[in-house]
Amino acid sequence: MKELICISCPAGCRLEAEALENGEIRVSGNSCKRGLDFAMAEMTRPMRSLCSTVRTAFGDFPMLPVRTDREIPKSAIPEAMKLISGIVVEERIACGDVVSSLAPICEGNLIATSSGLISF
Amino acid sequence: MTDKYDVAVIGGGPAGLAAAIAAERAGARVLLIEREARLGGILKQCVHDGFGLVRFGEKLAGPEYAERFLTQLRGTGVEVTPQTFVDEISPLKGPRADRVPPPTGFQLKLVSAKGMRNVRAKSVILATGCRERTARQVAIHGTRPAGIFTAGSAQYYTNILGQLPAKRCVILGSGDIGLIMARRLTLEGARVLGVYEAKPIPSGLPRNIAQCLHDFDIPLHLSKTVTRVFGHARLEAVEISDVDGVMRPIPGTQERVACDALILSVGLIPENELAEALGVALHPVTKGPVCDQNGMTSVPGVFSCGNAAHVNDLVDYVSESGETAGRAAAHYAMNNSQFTMNHYASLSVDDSFLYAMPQRIHLREPVDEITVFFRSREERGKTRFTARLGNEMILNKNYRQLRPPEMERLTVPLEGAELKPGDVIALEMEEMA
Amino acid sequence: MNIEKINKELAKRFGAEKYSVKARREHLVLEGESGDWQEIVAAGYLAAKHTGKLPGCLVNDVKYLDYEQPAMRMPSIQDDSLEGATPDVLIIGGGVVGCAIARELSRWRLDVLLVDKECDVALHSSSRNDGMIHPGLDIHKSSQKYKYNKLGNAMYEQICAELQVPFTREGQYLCFPKKLPSFLLYLTKLYWRYLDVPSRVLRRKELFGILPGLQADLGSALFFPTAGSVCPYSLTIAYAENAIQNGARVSLSTAVLGMDVTEENGRQRIKAVRTNRGTIRPALVINAAGVFCEDIAAMAGDRFFSIHPRRGTNSILDKKISDSVSRYHASTLMTGHAKGAHTKGGGVIRTVHDNLLLGPNAVESPEKEDFTTSPESIKTVFDKQAKTSERLNQGQIITYFTGVRAATFEEDFVIRPGLYTENIIHAAGIQSPGLTAAPAIGAALADWVAQRLKPAPNEAFNPIRPAIVNAAALPDEERDALIKQNPDYGVILCRCEQVSRGEIVAALRRPLSCDSVDGVKRRVRAGMGRCQGGFCGPLVAQEIAKELRIPLERVRRSGEGSELLYGSIKDTEVTS
Repeated sequence: MKELICISCPAGCRLEAEALENGEIRVSGNSCKRGLDFAMAEMTRPMRSLCSTVRTAFGDFPMLPVRTDREIPKSAIPEAMKLISGIVVEERIACGDVVSSLAPICEGNLIATSSGLISF
Repeated sequence: MTDKYDVAVIGGGPAGLAAAIAAERAGARVLLIEREARLGGILKQCVHDGFGLVRFGEKLAGPEYAERFLTQLRGTGVEVTPQTFVDEISPLKGPRADRVPPPTGFQLKLVSAKGMRNVRAKSVILATGCRERTARQVAIHGTRPAGIFTAGSAQYYTNILGQLPAKRCVILGSGDIGLIMARRLTLEGARVLGVYEAKPIPSGLPRNIAQCLHDFDIPLHLSKTVTRVFGHARLEAVEISDVDGVMRPIPGTQERVACDALILSVGLIPENELAEALGVALHPVTKGPVCDQNGMTSVPGVFSCGNAAHVNDLVDYVSESGETAGRAAAHYAMNNSQFTMNHYASLSVDDSFLYAMPQRIHLREPVDEITVFFRSREERGKTRFTARLGNEMILNKNYRQLRPPEMERLTVPLEGAELKPGDVIALEMEEMA
Repeated sequence: MNIEKINKELAKRFGAEKYSVKARREHLVLEGESGDWQEIVAAGYLAAKHTGKLPGCLVNDVKYLDYEQPAMRMPSIQDDSLEGATPDVLIIGGGVVGCAIARELSRWRLDVLLVDKECDVALHSSSRNDGMIHPGLDIHKSSQKYKYNKLGNAMYEQICAELQVPFTREGQYLCFPKKLPSFLLYLTKLYWRYLDVPSRVLRRKELFGILPGLQADLGSALFFPTAGSVCPYSLTIAYAENAIQNGARVSLSTAVLGMDVTEENGRQRIKAVRTNRGTIRPALVINAAGVFCEDIAAMAGDRFFSIHPRRGTNSILDKKISDSVSRYHASTLMTGHAKGAHTKGGGVIRTVHDNLLLGPNAVESPEKEDFTTSPESIKTVFDKQAKTSERLNQGQIITYFTGVRAATFEEDFVIRPGLYTENIIHAAGIQSPGLTAAPAIGAALADWVAQRLKPAPNEAFNPIRPAIVNAAALPDEERDALIKQNPDYGVILCRCEQVSRGEIVAALRRPLSCDSVDGVKRRVRAGMGRCQGGFCGPLVAQEIAKELRIPLERVRRSGEGSELLYGSIKDTEVTS
């Protein structure tokens, strides 16, 4: 049995998840479907969204905030951070634009979360 | 020359953005005054996600959440004056702002790179946000080295400037910003030795304890605080002490932890210097203005919203309060000659509440319902919340759990309650079996 | 003077043969050993009561057992920028006294060099005091303190006008309980007249009109109109800048390590002064080294007094409450309730910048550079000052700081030429009311030097030091015109104290170099307010980086080693 805190929303429900012998996972304490999904994933392949910043080539806005456009495996975070550290954005891109693909680390893209490079 | 507006919004963070948009949509001529070069307030540096779940059903990063409002703002006629500081604000009429009759408007003296400018507005919305408590305010003693940062300034250095303020740090206070910074610094290569919290329960949201601390094996130490700092030029170590039930350090429990930075997440205080200059009455617990259901303060025509009114835990609620104040300020600006003072009912809370917002209800217009935000004073299990008017029960609601860090929002129906000036709606909590 | 009598008294009070005094040349030396610092100080006081008739003072050579004085904190820089320098006058110490002397000496055609081991002037006592300009209440008429306090007090209007430093003279209120019959206050007027201190008795009604926040049990007060208030580090910086403007040199991060002293015909002479930046051969040395003045005297072979460091902590309160406690700008108030042995009981002061300041207390402690604060010292001050006004509480504190006063056992200044060494002049043992006295000390020492070296006047001397403009204090039209000329004056970076980018940039371009966040703070107040730099700290750091053309990670909070940042986050190895 594993005690978990659901991170799906600010309610932060306390969950209990148990891997049964038949391979099923029993979850309790959740108040919604998202809690159930979260607990299932935690027991098999924990997923997280990752937010950070990347360097830009522009002095007026040196750091561009970014996030993954989906949750990625928790285990991929260190590799993803290394990738992020090496990126320098050289175009004035907008909020929501793709900064980089996360391949080959995992599926998904890194997207800009600010339009600071284009709006003054 | 003096420019005239219906509504002046002071502060271009999430509260002010929502307020300006709402006021303009309600038909007002709006001026939005922002101190910094860019709109968005503190959201600009909150690169983590989790914003907008209530409002948009999505987990957005802070700048992304702000962007949604900036896009809306661009479609309005709101006049924005960035990098502008409100030097002075004064009521146009009457010796004191809180006297009858209400002021016909306000004069604002603005300073910017363009020079000095005087503007007039019929109503004013204070959306000035909050500031962080400092090391001095939590009585940290010892030397005065570099390396002691509030979580917000550490966040600015890290996220806006891309500079690392710590390599090996201790975080004092388990407020959400502190937890977020623990994760952020760890991701960027710093070592976070631990988060220390003087209270016996964490101040931040449980999900942030989970995803910011547990995910990175950062220990959370409760009932412990930093009592002293060491180091002359740069911080070299902090002294940690256990605290007793009333948060006083217990002598003899000191331990020394070597670190190069101390990051403080020890509370936020609404910024209300302008409100005070206007004679607005402040609430002793929220440290923000006493407000009615529209965010109007004790000075007619002066509105407050967002973290300037009381410190919120979700930006979604900040935006909501901005919209409420924006609509009401526009309405006031266009109808203020009909405003009546002393037309208030009030909300009272018992000791089990830390506070509830609003504190009073203005009754000139029919009030169908009000939105109430409250915090429990202590951590509670199953609790019944009730709202009464005299002997009449207006609402009851059951909660599974109430925790001080989490603000609760609910709607109290008042249709048919026929509130009269002077009425008191009593909010109570009761433990359930 | 009877040595035997002193020794008897010492034995009677502290036990037989624990301490002993003997005369050495023209001063007294106290010897012995003890593990109790407070007792060592007490023995020093006892012995010093008898030095009055000697030219020298008391040197306290009692060994404090199991204690080692930490080494003086040193700048790490080693270069030869001062090697071979032969100034007419070398001033050691960049506090308000040293800088005042430098400025007064710059009226003459002299090569004046001031050195200080810190990265800025005014980093010790001159930035760690209450800024009060004393009327001169608790000092003996025969003392040097009395003389220089009185002279200095009267100079403040002129000096602050010339140096463009804010100064106010709103008086001091010494408040007494209601139950004290007020005729007693009238009786004390004789004493004030004897001291030549103007005074007035204020009755309750008048008093409460001025100080609305007083405790209800206070009933009357003595009012001393000649008391004033100044910002002590602003004054020190202004003195240094004006000195530089007029040709003096200031070398910071420069510590005096030793001196070569020769002896001829029984008179000693300093031949060379060794520093971390080269050996200097000055004609004359001025010792204005604050808490280290005894160490400098020892290097010069002229140690005839001792310093026992005395710590004092002050708290600064949010401006918001100032009006509710004191109507008048920069008035000071103190109660007659409590009087410490060697502090005038501290007080509540409304500073020139409109904050209330509480303090200081007085704690004897052997360490000379222990500027740490403790909760106890804050509490001591508050417990005492709460007797003045019920509107004071610890929640209003925005910051606090500790200073270390350089007290001699005679509790007097040592302002005189060397006793055994001929080319040194001491401005030593300067503690409260040293700030009040500083302008007079500066003028007096410059006179002595001029008499000795007979220089020509500096025809180009300009007494006016143009201050950095305080944009927020200008009338609207002038402020508008200033901004139109330089838009940076319209960009407010420090919101609490309303400091513009223009002022911050100006602070970085002054005659006396300033390159740290705290340096900017002391010059234009960015970061002095209630958020204590939480918002403006990063903004000031960026201005410094831009102006000095250095990367952000080299911007320091204060002196060396106090860099704020560790470089780009993207250059750091990710820990797993």
